[in-house]
Amino acid sequence: MIHRQQVKKQRILLIVLLSLIIITAFVSAGIGYSTLSFNRLLPTFLGQGTFKEEFVLFSVRLPRIIITILAGMALALSGSILQSITRNDLADPGIIGINSGAGAAVSIFFLFMPIQPGSFVYLLPIVAFVGALITAFFIYILSYNREVGLQPVRLVLVGVGFSMALSGLMIVFISSADRQKVDFIANWMVGNIWGADWPFILALLPWLIILFPFTLYKANKLNLLNLNEPVAIGLGVAIEKERIILLLTAVALAASAVSVTGGIAFIGLMAPHIAKSLVGPRHQLFIPISILIGGWLLLFADTIGRNVVEPNGIPAGVVVALIGAPYFMYLLMKK
Amino acid sequence: MVRLYTDDLSIGYGEQLIIKDLSVQIPNQKITTIIGPNGCGKSTLLKAITRIISHQSGAVVLDGKNVAKENTKILAKKMAILPQTPESASGLTVGELVSYGRFPYQTGFGRLSKKDYEVIDWALQMTNTSSFKYLPVDSLSGGQRQRVWIAMALAQETEIIFLDEPTTYLDMAHQLEVLELLQQLNKEEKRTIVMVLHDLNQAARFADYIVALKAGHIVKAGSCEEVITKEVLRGVFNIDAEIGIDPRTGKPMCISYDLFKGEK
Repeated sequence: MIHRQQVKKQRILLIVLLSLIIITAFVSAGIGYSTLSFNRLLPTFLGQGTFKEEFVLFSVRLPRIIITILAGMALALSGSILQSITRNDLADPGIIGINSGAGAAVSIFFLFMPIQPGSFVYLLPIVAFVGALITAFFIYILSYNREVGLQPVRLVLVGVGFSMALSGLMIVFISSADRQKVDFIANWMVGNIWGADWPFILALLPWLIILFPFTLYKANKLNLLNLNEPVAIGLGVAIEKERIILLLTAVALAASAVSVTGGIAFIGLMAPHIAKSLVGPRHQLFIPISILIGGWLLLFADTIGRNVVEPNGIPAGVVVALIGAPYFMYLLMKK
Repeated sequence: MVRLYTDDLSIGYGEQLIIKDLSVQIPNQKITTIIGPNGCGKSTLLKAITRIISHQSGAVVLDGKNVAKENTKILAKKMAILPQTPESASGLTVGELVSYGRFPYQTGFGRLSKKDYEVIDWALQMTNTSSFKYLPVDSLSGGQRQRVWIAMALAQETEIIFLDEPTTYLDMAHQLEVLELLQQLNKEEKRTIVMVLHDLNQAARFADYIVALKAGHIVKAGSCEEVITKEVLRGVFNIDAEIGIDPRTGKPMCISYDLFKGEK
């Protein structure tokens, strides 16, 4: 019983957001530290550029643009799932310890492993991913009650506690480390997109390709989980099983994104929320919108961050936080 | 042949049992009402029967099968439950909410079939909510909202419908409207209705079978005439009630009551 107009509105929004992403990507490809003028973009793209132009576009800008879009999408999808299974509009991948877990793992790995610059870069996402998974596992265990199962509210509280504890731990580790390492870790924590290279895209893409359709496949169940526990049980949702599967999905998505982008918060909070206010809370409609908003937001934030302060810019995570924090306050005030 | 019954059902955690060894049979195609004072376990019983909470021992049996072990989606095609004052997701429209009632019949990505649309339309019509179809549920009044939730339970197409205090927070006219709708469903559609009610006279007026609970056990279960009596009400609510006959319905009713203060 879906209003045709609602579906039509969603289709229009999809087109608008896709165009927005393409335009922003185009602008993003044309501006930056090295010059690559807009009228040279298309020729370079088609293989007519100079060596320098091709290098800037294909080895620097394009992978970064694609990785930011994909990571933003993964974070938005993760946030959409988390908000529904915890029935909490303020939920974000950060709260189930993704950022802090991945961050702690990266710090420990970086500080205590003898570093070989070549291979270690490609190990970091795996380390971050494992760290995030282990943290999520502990948070899950601690918010699980044998009699009533997973308690969504407890999950949020335990998650916040874990984030704080792990952040403290990281500071302890960092305080005894040498300057260069501290710089890298600090950059990682604030979400400086560092994994901007084609192999990282290949590492991130499969997660989205598999888990996006999978989440849409679960949309029906998400609708009911988001509604009300007794109603969901009464309608025949195996809520314990579905919650665990969906929680794992959200963890995998966020961990895969954060492992290449560093700790980025707020995308998973904002994107689903904006999407819901546009097309309503039915997952079939809002999830595709949420994903596009997430991808665009992170791309937009990174483009600004890259260009405001020469030559290194400010990390995307900081720009996102600058937009996200006021939004979060607005949400709290509205409640 | 009774389709649904509980067998020595105990509910609670550890040593603290809310309900102990309770056996009750729910008559088919009748309206059954569970009454009792606050904290007697009437809502708990309803939740345990509908598998929303698990029980410690005993069994709930539906069509010869143990509910705790049956596939939950199969059960959802047999019994629907409307919890007490459920909340809807903000912005969800009436049509969308009612369409969720089709969940047990959906597979895969869950596109609604032609049959689904027909059932949803029928449920909206039955509950007189068709005109709200495209409005957000949270923009409706309490009475309208309750009818929409009943429509969702109807879209589930189950023979048995459970309701936990469906008239709470409604004014007198809207309470009656909801109860008459349930009565109509029972009479015309032969649905078995099981509900928890607070109001004794409403229970007496609409129920075919009343289960009176106190402190987790049944004081009396039977027809209105058997349950709405001076003795039973004293035993259940600790009140000294004056029972008369409702001049309009011919059912027993509690005309006036005082707190029971020992033997006179």
